[in-house]
Parts: sequence; structure tokens; C-alpha cells
Amino acid sequence: MPETPDFQAYRGTEPPLFQNDAELECAKILDYYGIPWLYEPRTFELEHDEHGRVLEAFAPDFYLPEQDLYLEITVMKQSLVTRKNRKLRKLKERYPDVNIKLFYKRDIERLGQRYGLKLAS
Amino acid sequence: MPSDDRIGEIYLSAEELAARVAELGAQIAADYAGREPLLVASLKASFVFLADLTRAIPILHHVDFVELAGYSSDETGGTAAIRFLKDLDAPIHGRDVLIVEDVIDTGLTLNYLVRTFGHRSPRSLAAVTLLDRPYRRLVEDLPVHYVGFTVPDEFFVGYGFDVDELYRNLPDLHILRPAS
Repeated sequence: MPETPDFQAYRGTEPPLFQNDAELECAKILDYYGIPWLYEPRTFELEHDEHGRVLEAFAPDFYLPEQDLYLEITVMKQSLVTRKNRKLRKLKERYPDVNIKLFYKRDIERLGQRYGLKLAS
Repeated sequence: MPSDDRIGEIYLSAEELAARVAELGAQIAADYAGREPLLVASLKASFVFLADLTRAIPILHHVDFVELAGYSSDETGGTAAIRFLKDLDAPIHGRDVLIVEDVIDTGLTLNYLVRTFGHRSPRSLAAVTLLDRPYRRLVEDLPVHYVGFTVPDEFFVGYGFDVDELYRNLPDLHILRPAS
């Protein structure tokens, strides 16, 4: 389980429990830039059965309230994110007013190249 | 060509870079005619671009640099906040400020500079970038008035961009290959 530092720009009430190091690094980057953020604040229902039970749901990793933007972190290569992209497309179809972007490991690496960030592998 | 497997093929030649920088310089000179803009570059990668750009702007203008602290966890277990290692040398109140960036992708760095400089009441605030990846933007509504090249989602080296602090001096912009 990744460490959880004391975040300055985190706007949630409970300490975030990250799934992997990429999510932690993204949180640190947002904190570094002073961009307010929340961790998995909302779950979007994507598919229901005939009884209205939820078959598929999606909780994006981060929400940036000032940008009104959800971020989904992926550590996979961009060529291998088809499944995740399908989910994002579905979310955009069901919730057209919701802004969401994929944040790739490459984005983190690029910031690392610029500012000496060390991404745990 | 250095004998380093990480230095890939040329993406933009020195001639292509020079031609586009000349166009940007002419455009900036026309837009800022009668004023004395202050060009502000964020160290380090933009220094080569700035050196060429300043010589391509045939009007009076000033140059300054800022340097931002690297991102890392602090010793208390908290996270480090962005801050200047080197701030501007002079006030910018009432001045026309043009931020010079090597590349803009998420827009987080430029957003910080725009917010910070904006509090200092410049007359105008805009940005010029050599490379742009608008499709990776997290922060919108940034005053990016001049773009050299919109580029694909690759890493680059040369023309100011480094690998382990090396190869900034390469005259062409190369694709950076993953280390084998």
C-alpha cells in the first residue's frame, strides 16, 4: 500500500487510500501545483439490468473542483487502454456534462523529466 | 550524432526550428510594436528557444528568468509546494509580460506562472511555447498566444531538452527512445 503524506490541496474528509503508486504520484503533483483535488468522490452508474440494479459502475480516481474535471489515472501503455477508454466513452454518453480525462503514466513521467520526480515502478 | 541509443531520429531539424522561431519573432514584434515586452523564461529547457527567439524579435524588449523548485516530498512527510528558486529580478506592474515556455502539455506549470504573475498587475500577460500538446491539457483558458509546433505524445531531446541533463546542446530536436 503506498504511503499517504499530509496533503495540502486535498479537499476530502477521510484520508485517501490509493490503489497504486501512480495515483499517489498524481496526488503529489496536484498538491505541488496547489490544485484542489478529491479522491474518488463519485461513482457513476453506467449499466443497469431490467430491475434497475447496477451492472456496471465507474469511480474516476480524482476530481478537480476548480476545473470541474475528473481524472482517471492509468499506468498502462496508451495502446493498451482500450477497455478504460470504452468506459470513459460510456460515461460521456450517459453523463454528457461530466468532464473527464485520462492521465497517463507518461504524463507523470514527463512532469518527472521536468522536475526530477521519481516515479516508483 | 552522439553514440547514445536513446537519441532517436530527428523530429524537427535546426533549419525547421530556426524558420518557425523567425516567424514567431516577427509575429511577436508586430503584436508588441511600440511597447517593450518582458520575456520571461522558465529554466532550464527553454533557454535555447529563448536565446533564438530574443534575437528574432527586432523591437526593444527585456529578458528575465524564473526557476521553479523541483517536486519532491518534504522531510516531514508532507508534500512540497511549487515555489520559485529564482523569482523575477524586477516588478512587472504595468508591464507587458510574455512567458516563454519550451513545452506546454498539462498546463499546470503555466497556470501557476499566470496566476502568480497575474497578482502582480502586469498590463498584459501572454505565453509563447515552442512545443504544444493541447490534447494533454488539464487546465484550460491559458493565454497561449503563440505556438511553435503542435507535437505528438513523444519525449524529445535536443534544442534545450535534456536526458539526464545531457544533450541540451543538440541543434536538432530528436525523438527520445526508451533506454534499452
